[in-house]
Amino acid sequence: MLNYFDPATEGLNPNRDYGTPAQLSETLVALSIDGVDIRVPEGTSVLRAAALAGINIPKLCASDNLEAFGSCRLCAVEVEGRRGYPASCTTPVAEGMTVTTQNNKLGKLRRNIMELYISDHPLDCLTCPANGNCELQDVAGAVGLREVRYGFDGENHLDAETDDSNPYFSFDPSKCIVCSRCVRACEEVQGTFALTIDGRGFDSKVSASQNENFMDSECVSCGACVQACPTSTLMEKSVIEVGQPEHSVVTTCAYCGVGCSFKAEMKGNELVRMVPYKGGDANHGHSCVKGRFAFGYATHKDRIKEPMIRHTIDEPWRAVSWDEALGFAASRLKAIQAQHGRESIGGITSSRCTNEETYLVQKLIRAAFGNNNTDTCARVCHSPTGYGLKTTMGESAGTQTFDSVMMSDTILVIGANPTDAHPVFASQMRKRLRQGAKLIVADPRYIDLLKTPHGGEGIHLPLRPGTNVALINSLAHVVVTEGLEDQEFIESRCEPKAYTDWRNFISEDRNSPETLEMITGVAAADVRRAARAYARAGNGAIYYGLGVTEHSQGSTMVMGIANLAMATGNIGREGVGVNPLRGQNNVQGSCDMGSFPHELPGYQHIADDLVRGRFEAVWGVTLDNEPGLRIPNMFDAAIAGTFKAMYVQGEDIAQSDPNTHHVESALKALDCLIVQDIFLNETAKFAHVLLPGSTFLEKNGTFTNAERRINRVRKVMPAVAGLEDWEVTCALSNALGYPMHYNHPSEIMDEIAQLTPTFTGVSYDKLEQQGSIQWPCNGDHPDGTPTMHTLDFPIGKGHFAITEYLATEERTNRRFPLLLTTGRILSQYNVGAQTRRTDNRQWHQEDLLEIHPSDAELRGVHDGDWVGISSRVGQTVLRAKLSDRMLPGVVYTTFHHPGSGANIITTENSDWATNCPEYKVTAVQAEKVSQPSQWQQQFRDFDKRQKEYLEQADQDATTALK
Amino acid sequence: MSDQQLQNLINMINQIGANNLHHDDEHDAAEMVAGHLKKFWARSMKAQLISYADSDGAQLSPVSRLAVERLKQKR
Repeated sequence: MLNYFDPATEGLNPNRDYGTPAQLSETLVALSIDGVDIRVPEGTSVLRAAALAGINIPKLCASDNLEAFGSCRLCAVEVEGRRGYPASCTTPVAEGMTVTTQNNKLGKLRRNIMELYISDHPLDCLTCPANGNCELQDVAGAVGLREVRYGFDGENHLDAETDDSNPYFSFDPSKCIVCSRCVRACEEVQGTFALTIDGRGFDSKVSASQNENFMDSECVSCGACVQACPTSTLMEKSVIEVGQPEHSVVTTCAYCGVGCSFKAEMKGNELVRMVPYKGGDANHGHSCVKGRFAFGYATHKDRIKEPMIRHTIDEPWRAVSWDEALGFAASRLKAIQAQHGRESIGGITSSRCTNEETYLVQKLIRAAFGNNNTDTCARVCHSPTGYGLKTTMGESAGTQTFDSVMMSDTILVIGANPTDAHPVFASQMRKRLRQGAKLIVADPRYIDLLKTPHGGEGIHLPLRPGTNVALINSLAHVVVTEGLEDQEFIESRCEPKAYTDWRNFISEDRNSPETLEMITGVAAADVRRAARAYARAGNGAIYYGLGVTEHSQGSTMVMGIANLAMATGNIGREGVGVNPLRGQNNVQGSCDMGSFPHELPGYQHIADDLVRGRFEAVWGVTLDNEPGLRIPNMFDAAIAGTFKAMYVQGEDIAQSDPNTHHVESALKALDCLIVQDIFLNETAKFAHVLLPGSTFLEKNGTFTNAERRINRVRKVMPAVAGLEDWEVTCALSNALGYPMHYNHPSEIMDEIAQLTPTFTGVSYDKLEQQGSIQWPCNGDHPDGTPTMHTLDFPIGKGHFAITEYLATEERTNRRFPLLLTTGRILSQYNVGAQTRRTDNRQWHQEDLLEIHPSDAELRGVHDGDWVGISSRVGQTVLRAKLSDRMLPGVVYTTFHHPGSGANIITTENSDWATNCPEYKVTAVQAEKVSQPSQWQQQFRDFDKRQKEYLEQADQDATTALK
Repeated sequence: MSDQQLQNLINMINQIGANNLHHDDEHDAAEMVAGHLKKFWARSMKAQLISYADSDGAQLSPVSRLAVERLKQKR
């Protein structure tokens, strides 16, 4: 007898559709299907049970990522002792059931159904884009359809008009069989509810919003409907254009920190489409518009295809060989160190590149440069997470898996906007909210998660930007003073003295919601309601983003979050935890891999002689035992003239870092800037050496997502300039005289595993076997660690930290009466270098200033007007968008377009512990203007000149760079 | 060393002190600040700050001044 104890994971083929979702019941039910005896979990459908037994019942409306619907009736079966022909998808198994899936009667029934379907379906199979991959075609073949007695002349839908409005997929309703899979995918998988079946009976048709085209509707272009469609009604335009792919490779998305697994479906070296992989543990077969569709940048004409050098930034680039470029870079670096000292150079690792590449860059800096001047873009996003979580709980990482949210009773989201920035996880959150979990959102803006269809009413705590710590203290105050603590957890798991000190502090009246209401702007009653909802939930889970970290008290706030979770015992099991949502694909990995100046891989301090000794033995060099410079310190030192050269891999500091004037001055002060990137990004315009980077499609390696999950990145096409990024770093190191030789990134991972206690069990072989691994993976946790801190903390006992609220120095006044906060949107990614070079630009062509109607009225600003935004450090001009998502007094913008200059106005204020910039709070004034700012005009001139310099580099490139 | 660079270092140390001053216990805060600098600041940054404290130090908060003294002992 076949036994399926854990059908969600055991022995299933992710490339197969089992018809209906897995059931997790531990009670097994025995039945017989076509004479095959099988036991499956209670609640399983007969259709799925048959599939598990290897019997394929024809189906059209069923799919194992959707609840059974029972509309096509093709999966009809006979059940002994029951009347009629029930649909096997909606029939649950029962003990002792005897099922027949095929006989003359069933065969005839199915043929009749198919005959009806096909009587209103075009017979253009040979020229249809789905040809070769069409479920309707397959089922027609499977049931033996040979004739359509009704003819094709009756009333039909064959002339229905195609909707081509979406840039990535087309909707051809003439081919629709109204199975509702798209509608259900939009509801159940994505949670947007943009699609519906309009009309009844013969008039039934799929409608986006209320009979709008897809682009104008609420559709977010996640593509779940396209993937669900069994015909070519919803079809990727890339497939329509080039045909069905012929092979596929499983790899990991290079956009946000969710780290979705995809099948890159290929024809030769050409990527036809990305299809989310059901076997991916982060995304379970779902994706967003970026991951699924926005991959065209990889083959964009702007790609840098050859190494280039120049002596100054005021002269054209010269295309040279790899050897010449690396020799030039190495000799400059050496000359600078000879003249200005060992500490006069440094580098930045990339949070977009692989773990192996990041590891090599910091190794190059520490071993070949001989100093610790290494940093990464996490400096400007999640460095406070590292500091705060390490101080309180002993490890610089989130505590849960994404799936854990399905066990949460209350979800507290602070300073994060998951539907835009982590869309696939947001879909999972929304699923849990639809199941009844409570939602609390602490954010100055009314984010879309609060508008989850069928999600129940959330509690919104619309705090003033910059008052996070006051809010978290008031929440903790309620927990402590209303007796909502988990005393058992605190006593057994936390340091008693630190706890007592913290408890005394937090109980003080100055931390009560009533006292702090003046500061946060959040009604005390709402704070009390939220604190109770979180503390009494059973399972309370906290998710947070850059709205927590990018503040002058970012680290304090992270500790405040950890305090709250520990005080309520919401740590150490599924459904709870503290979860930083990471911005870039490999921010977690770049931090893990020792990118920070004070830490070697695995968060091991550089001053620890024992640790350093192990690295020195393997690397064959003596390492500096003092921390190096962080990014802002490098800028300051560059302007001061003591820091002269930088190697920047896959990071656009000129656009993404705050106070652009300051950054530009620093970059201009460098004698040698080496930029390795896939495009001429903003930073590269200040560079002397430009090394072509490779996209995630062009290399092997691993990314680590926000749940500490190490996923494989697999090469599907050759690198445009011949070298993968890790090979470039090796070559640079060799040119500098420090030998680096690896044949494959797996050898780099072996070295990482050798030196990093949390990675000792990680290898490419194990990744092949398991699919992915959540670190720590070592002797204590041989298969990885889905949930952290289950028994104890890496520091033994949890440490409550005192979190005094201290107002930021960035305050509004008469000159700058508004607070600017920044964020991002769904269709664009970070600095936009990738997404702006795809059709995603159709959703977001420019960065807009969202301003409350009352603030706009006061300034005579209308929707679409040019508005000048000034802070004490700079001025820029954006178009206004009136919005009541923020409170009056708060304005909002994104930073996806370089010409917008959002970071012209952000200041150098930063987190006290980590120097993470205070992007989320800038005091500004906004006024109506008629022309771009002076900086924007200079930017245009500079941009134009630098692009011309690139064109002159290579005549071949000239036509490509218009 | 530029004025701006030194100014930033002064602001940074004063900010660390201010964020860790609890119930006006300057000695506890100074200990924390000194430990923080030792652990996270580059050699050159520490040296610049110490030389400023020795030569002038007017802009250092009381906690920062104490912290620099302790930092010197920790070196």
